[in-house]
Amino acid sequence: MTRLLVRYRRPLILSSTLLLSFVLMTLQVRSQSPLADLTKRMLLTTISPILRIAAVSKATTVSLWKEYIDLRRVRRDNQLLREEVRQFRVQVGELQEAAQENSRLNYLLQLGSPSGTEAVAAKVIGKDVTNWFRTILIDKGGKEGIQRHMAVVAPEGLVGRVVDVTARASRVQLITDPESSIGCLVQRSRVAGVAAGSQAGTVQIKYLPLMADVVVGDRVITSGMGGIIPKGIPLGKVIRSSRPNGALFQETEVQALADFSRLEEVMVLKRPPEGDLPSGGGKRLP
Amino acid sequence: MSILLLALLGVCLLQSTVAHRLAIGGVQPDLFLVLVFGLSLSTRPELATVGGFLIGLYQDSLSGAPLGLNAFTLSLIGFLVSQLSRQVKTAELATRFALLFLAAIASGLTTLLVLRFFQVFRPVASTILWTVLPGAIYTAILGACLLALPRLRWMRGLGR
Repeated sequence: MTRLLVRYRRPLILSSTLLLSFVLMTLQVRSQSPLADLTKRMLLTTISPILRIAAVSKATTVSLWKEYIDLRRVRRDNQLLREEVRQFRVQVGELQEAAQENSRLNYLLQLGSPSGTEAVAAKVIGKDVTNWFRTILIDKGGKEGIQRHMAVVAPEGLVGRVVDVTARASRVQLITDPESSIGCLVQRSRVAGVAAGSQAGTVQIKYLPLMADVVVGDRVITSGMGGIIPKGIPLGKVIRSSRPNGALFQETEVQALADFSRLEEVMVLKRPPEGDLPSGGGKRLP
Repeated sequence: MSILLLALLGVCLLQSTVAHRLAIGGVQPDLFLVLVFGLSLSTRPELATVGGFLIGLYQDSLSGAPLGLNAFTLSLIGFLVSQLSRQVKTAELATRFALLFLAAIASGLTTLLVLRFFQVFRPVASTILWTVLPGAIYTAILGACLLALPRLRWMRGLGR
């Protein structure tokens, strides 16, 4: 028996790992088992503190590097004077950075307050590591009261919704993720549709009737349908709209207002989802 | 083993904080695949398979993918590359580029198939054309260059 196991160890190990992977996927996708969810959270919990430290280290390294470059310019004869100027410059830079951050956070707070929703500011500490999904990691989690399905906004508009929560970090599914679907309204004509992400990273509005009044440049906001995302959050601007022959609905493409490649801070709106939602969030993979 | 864990940690950090800045047209290189490839060239198929599985699990935890998707793909790729590296000379840059490109294509197609199995439908032609193919080329170029760097030769000793 042992000789057989040793002889066929390679196919045995391969089939075991493939089977285990398949079981994990089935548990999570089909039955939304807490075991797979727990395993994923444990793995994320082991890596999120390191990501957080890396983000801080990166900022410190950039700051130190800039200071080093500044220092190289200092001449011997007026070193003290230049040092003083450098210190002022560093302080001004820090204050400007703080002022800009303050301004962004103030704007985010204003965005959260009209709907009477308590909000939590969070920093982006990581982006999705594959080309298949579009998610980000933020540095706030269950300890700050964040739950799944909460809406996440940036100063420009809607970013997405929380899909995974650990104690100190959460994953946010962006509105450009191919599995994302959010109820929306064309602000001018009040036509309702569903803003869905795509593999190409764009946002399409689905189910807009052919006769619906939509033109390029129209602003799109959230409709509040489904009770997950509050109503009225700016989502994007229509950049293309066509009515193909024989189609039942218009084909409308929207440019998201938030620039997802430059996201630094976001605000999580702590409005719990109304009613019971499935733990997988419907069509969305966990 | 400790080198592998350090390399995995480094790749996790690089992939989640730096790789998106290197994205061209929204496509980023897959450093996890490069790590599995490097590991597979230097170790036995059974270790490459288990290594691929563990690395894939971490990739799953850092992405929106269901747990097991990348673990499935990378354990398969680890096994195949390790088997193939015993029959093909992998010291040359061009050979490594070709192997890594094929591995990336196989990884993309496997992911597409597994997603389809779980009823997550992606448009096949456009996904291959705009996600799998550019990703494979980018990963193969970057990975072959990284593995050729003298300072990264330690990757060859990952499994020892």
